[in-house]
Amino acid sequence: MPSNMTLGERLRKQGVSRRGFLKFCAATASMMALPPTAVSALAAGLEKARRPSVIWLSFQECTGCAEAITRSEAPTLENLIFDYISLDYQHTIMAASGDAAEAAREKAMHENEGKYIVIVDGAIPLKDDGIYSTIAGMTNLQILKDTVKHAAAVISLGTCAAYGGIPKASPNPTGAAAVSEIIKDKPIINVPGCPPIPVVITGVIAQYLAFGKLPELDALGRPKAFYGQNIHDRCYRRPFYERGLFAETFDDEGAKAGWCLWKLGCKGPITYNACAVTKWNYGTSFPIQAGHGCIGCSEPDFWDKGGFYEPLSAGTFSAGGRLAAAAAVGVAVGVGSAVLARNSQKALHHKEGA
Amino acid sequence: MSLLDFARGPALEWSLIIFVIGVVWRLAGTFLFKGQKYLSKPKGTKFVSAGLMAIANKSFPPHELEKRITFQHYTGYLFHIMLFIVVFLFEPHIAFFDWALGISWPGLPTNVITFSSAVTVIILIALGIRRATDPVMKKLTTIDDWISWFLTITPFITGMMAFAHQNIGVRYEDLLALHILNVCLLLIWIPFGKLMHMFLLFPGRYQMGEKFEYRGVKA
Amino acid sequence: MSSLDAIGVRVEGPDLKALARRNAEPILHEIRHALARLLESGEETVIDLRGLPLSDFDQDFLVGELGVGELECRLDALGKSVIQETAYHGVWLVTHFNAGEQIIGRFVEVTFVPAILKSDPIDIRSDLDRLTERLAAGLEEGSAGEVDSQ
Ligand code: SF4
Ligand code: SF4
Repeated sequence: MPSNMTLGERLRKQGVSRRGFLKFCAATASMMALPPTAVSALAAGLEKARRPSVIWLSFQECTGCAEAITRSEAPTLENLIFDYISLDYQHTIMAASGDAAEAAREKAMHENEGKYIVIVDGAIPLKDDGIYSTIAGMTNLQILKDTVKHAAAVISLGTCAAYGGIPKASPNPTGAAAVSEIIKDKPIINVPGCPPIPVVITGVIAQYLAFGKLPELDALGRPKAFYGQNIHDRCYRRPFYERGLFAETFDDEGAKAGWCLWKLGCKGPITYNACAVTKWNYGTSFPIQAGHGCIGCSEPDFWDKGGFYEPLSAGTFSAGGRLAAAAAVGVAVGVGSAVLARNSQKALHHKEGA
Repeated sequence: MSLLDFARGPALEWSLIIFVIGVVWRLAGTFLFKGQKYLSKPKGTKFVSAGLMAIANKSFPPHELEKRITFQHYTGYLFHIMLFIVVFLFEPHIAFFDWALGISWPGLPTNVITFSSAVTVIILIALGIRRATDPVMKKLTTIDDWISWFLTITPFITGMMAFAHQNIGVRYEDLLALHILNVCLLLIWIPFGKLMHMFLLFPGRYQMGEKFEYRGVKA
Repeated sequence: MSSLDAIGVRVEGPDLKALARRNAEPILHEIRHALARLLESGEETVIDLRGLPLSDFDQDFLVGELGVGELECRLDALGKSVIQETAYHGVWLVTHFNAGEQIIGRFVEVTFVPAILKSDPIDIRSDLDRLTERLAAGLEEGSAGEVDSQ
């Protein structure tokens, strides 16, 4: 594919008619929560969009994020956009290996200096000079710094890259860190989720392609268009929550009747993600619809917020032992003070008696 | 660590520890240290029933005063009942007790809780205004009362706000964190202020009944 | 059994229909204004139904209220789309599906004819070329009615 072909030309080459393209734009705009009036701007933007060079770096990760986006079946919005980008380096799916692969990365960086996008999935180990994860003899930390130096922007894909995720979970043996803890001088878009929703990934890329600028982000660096609302506020089980009808176990009558999963540890109220709206697997369902509470996968440190099955009103530590110990201390202090008081009273009696 | 992580983690942990130590200390201190021994002979024998009677009797306004104190007496009752409903029968609270103590019980529908919370807050405000304006109450009021009042009313307000977060446009996690931190302050304060009455009231009355029986006084 | 069970609490389901009516009404008002605007100034309006806080039930209620008109078109491009005039002339319901038959967009368009129905000059040009080529080739190989789209 000639790299100067615009997205519009490319789609036409693939046999997508103008109607298909308009439909694609309308659906993309809807997905990105843009007003319908923005569709023509989006269409014009996407029509003229130039193929961006993308370098995808995989660090401490499970490849789930890459799976999520590359597993979509044809032809969806996701892979139309995704096919369009020039993925110049992705060590899991590229044909080249070893030196040739690293050479491809260097070449892409060189040819697109200042313009390429870096996608990172996985956290970066910092402990002991980052030796816990290396590629081609370089630590993840070195590769990240080196690759990002001339990038236009970084997309932290998945919770591990965005916030450290599971590698960073306590006790974090490798000193895993998020991209934003290391890179301070480049725009970073966090697209968290374990994994992130595919249309959210492509939505972010589409927005960048069409408008040439980064989307509006929330306080945690996530695009507001997709992470603006928490799961709870869009959850179809919400009416049960409002009425105080909660499933107590995963197989009781309440669970069967579709009652709220709050008491079973649902983290929907504190989790910002698009699941309740876009759902998963082509809109089939999402975890809460399947009967399991949200585990808060798009939030920092979701792995360490107490048990997945503990409700939000519980503490994040185990209460039993500590409270028993506290009670014992209380008894000791109480007895101690009672004894002291009695002694001083006796002393008083003695004095009075004398 | 987010505010909510702090609230559900170290804040809750330490306030619970302080609460338990404080309460147990005061209870142990109070009941192990029974004060001076009577040198006289006991004038009665039915200590237990006298103690229980004192608990029961003191739960109604004394006849002579009945007319004059009905307002605070019965609003006081209503307030405590509503408070009990909200604290112990709201499902998320039951989930908390289940986590902390390993026991749970059935709750009430949320609208009942919302209603009770609203009533509780209104009564607390009314009692607060009375406390601030009534000349006699003013004389009896100490800073302890105001701290206790404040720490009791705020969890209700933040709790209701958390529940209605969408309508007021504040993030649920922030309000929940605020609510939990509020409760933490309350927990820390309970053993050291007048709110300790929640533990001492009935045992205190019992002890008093016992003493009266010893001295042959009708409670 | 705790004595609390003795308290007769009956939980009422929300009246979904009344709720849907309440949610749909402002949108119907908006459509009415849009129709008036269309007649007066020719200004078109598009409402993204998925962008509104409507439950599936609310949406179905609204769609039911709009009714089915005399015209329905099916588009086959990147999955199916149904473009349907509602019982109100000038009010169209456009539903886009992906290849997996999931709804990826649902719009109410207030217009004389939805933009997506019109043939686009870019497509016309490439088909003009195609027809010219075919005629030059003497209509020989391939079938005539091949649709150049997905
Ligand atoms: S299941 Fe979870 S997200 Fe849904 S209403 Fe209950 S607490 Fe909220
Ligand atoms: S429901 Fe919650 S845990 Fe599950 S995928 Fe969505 S955000 Fe992640």
